[in-house]
Amino acid sequence: MIRKILTLIILSSIVYPQDGIAIAKLVDERKVPQDIVSKTTMLLTNSKGKTRTSTILSKSMNNGSKQILWFLNPADDKGVAFLKIEHDDKADEMRMWLPAFKKVRRIASSKKGDSFMGSDLSYEDMTNRALDENTYKRLDDDTIDSKACFVLEVVPNAEIKSTYSKHITWIEKETLMAIREESYDLGGNLRKKKIFLFESLSGYNVISNIFVEDIQKNHSTKLTMGDIKVDSGLDESLFQEKNLKRLPRN
Amino acid sequence: MRNRYIFLLLTCKILFGQISITGSLKPTGMFRLSDQSRMDLPFRLTELKLGYTMGDFDFMLNSAVEHRWGENMSAIDLREAYVIWFPNWGEVKFGKQIHAWGVADGNNPTDNLNAYDYYFMFLPGTDRKVGSLSAAMTVYWDDWQLEGVIIPDHIPNRMPFHEPDFPFQIPIEPSKYEKIDNSLEFGLRLKTTFGESDIGLSYFNGRDRSFSLLGVDTFNIIMISPKFGYRATTVFGLNMVTFIDDITIRAEAGYFTTENNYQESWFQFFETKAEYVQYVIQCEYRTASSFTIGAQLIGNHVLNAVGQTFDLATMGQTTLNTDNFTPGLGTPFAMIAEQSLSIVGSKTLFDESLELNYNLLINLDEKGQMIGVSAEYSFVENWFIDGSVSYFEGDGNPQNRFEQLEDFSHFQLQLAYRF
Repeated sequence: MIRKILTLIILSSIVYPQDGIAIAKLVDERKVPQDIVSKTTMLLTNSKGKTRTSTILSKSMNNGSKQILWFLNPADDKGVAFLKIEHDDKADEMRMWLPAFKKVRRIASSKKGDSFMGSDLSYEDMTNRALDENTYKRLDDDTIDSKACFVLEVVPNAEIKSTYSKHITWIEKETLMAIREESYDLGGNLRKKKIFLFESLSGYNVISNIFVEDIQKNHSTKLTMGDIKVDSGLDESLFQEKNLKRLPRN
Repeated sequence: MRNRYIFLLLTCKILFGQISITGSLKPTGMFRLSDQSRMDLPFRLTELKLGYTMGDFDFMLNSAVEHRWGENMSAIDLREAYVIWFPNWGEVKFGKQIHAWGVADGNNPTDNLNAYDYYFMFLPGTDRKVGSLSAAMTVYWDDWQLEGVIIPDHIPNRMPFHEPDFPFQIPIEPSKYEKIDNSLEFGLRLKTTFGESDIGLSYFNGRDRSFSLLGVDTFNIIMISPKFGYRATTVFGLNMVTFIDDITIRAEAGYFTTENNYQESWFQFFETKAEYVQYVIQCEYRTASSFTIGAQLIGNHVLNAVGQTFDLATMGQTTLNTDNFTPGLGTPFAMIAEQSLSIVGSKTLFDESLELNYNLLINLDEKGQMIGVSAEYSFVENWFIDGSVSYFEGDGNPQNRFEQLEDFSHFQLQLAYRF
């Protein structure tokens, strides 16, 4: 009987951890695919309702710490490719292939606030948040669309020079997936609202839709991931400069 | 039966390949600022790039139709036609192609594998280059890259002779160029990453892309025959990309040695040996509001020049020195001024529908500058209207390069459809 009670206490402490960092660790340790391949449609909508659509082939591994993207559409972006490799011990590497110039251009990873290809996603939004680079505070739990959620306040540490002062993130308790996020600029004003949808695939929960609204610019970006494949056996060697130059066949 | 099988296999291979077609249609008009008269220079009316991927191979074709409004004449230009093989260890390219070396955005002193097309000198990237038949191989291992390029035939710059609307008038059009005994050219490039920096070394061994007067021969006492050709030149290059906080620095330098190595016994043979350095240092910064600003310091310094040359003023032979030596290889902008500063800026608005650019080129040696502004607006997907103004200002001295460019001040209008 005592053993059962102890087990119950331990389980409940896992399911309902008390502090923010414990929840963040659970999210971080969530089962994720080794690699993800998807064909993403990026829809940009400005304040006047004018839209622009891009199609991107994305391949990533190690929870997105290595990612390679090829632009398939529109015509003036076709062939442009982007490689990101996150490093623990040095600055991240970002390179772009510009077919018109026939050059791979190394770009600054320190400019985290730059927009990614005109979207409302910045390079910082596309980069994993390291646990030790942020402070996590648990706020009151909430319910979003009938889903019970943990709510975390994530404050980036000063040394990472984030373009945000904080994020408020809603994490679905059942799946430990972030489903909503609000990001605040350095002045403490709300900058972006993000909505994440996910689907279950081969035993993983994988993000299938991201909606980002830049409140200050009255501009939004919707990313819809199609043809999602997980654990397709991508090789580390894919994430090299030479592979930027060629649109993959699949 | 066997032939049918092979045919079937080939058909399947072709059908299961992947075809990529991109291109543009862009009628362009160029008009003088002084009197709004149309300038009669060729422009690329259409461009078509075809790519065909089959297994580890890509077949690339890049063609353009060059058009001139004045004579209403068009010409097809097969700019590139090459095949690329992508083995696991790198890439191998063969055919007529344009190589792009160097890390700066234009004005690269280490990018000497292809000739320049002076008609398209103000276009960006590879649009200003001429393709040449060549073979290239790149090997990648870890953070290292090694590329080797072999060019069997020397291709010179495409020069605009007898073009009254072109800013620089070339005084002489050689009727023939001296034959090059060994026209093989080659280049090697090594690149690696150290921490947050990319560093590269390069070597090129070939010939000048612009012609020089190599000597004078005589038919008889009163008839002389000038001898034109291309000096042998080697270039050692060094380049680097690094980051200082939010500023990106791209820098490259080339050390050139050149000589007239033709083995001829003309009446006058102009011995020429020279060393010069060209460099470009580029800094770029993006503001929080996505406004990109950049600056390039472009320089050309002749270190040493010995031999003889021909003086057009006295119409006689004279001693070559660092002042009268003209480089025949390297970035053309370094030849306009010994040292110049280029400042560029760009900003996109309305979801990248409108792109605004400005550029300012200042001659740091003598008074002279170019101011350019351009705007490109996409009014419907894939359709663009482009307008630009380029204004040149010299100091009143006819020898000043920017003074010579003053009448080239122009505005340009373009309607483009890209597919």
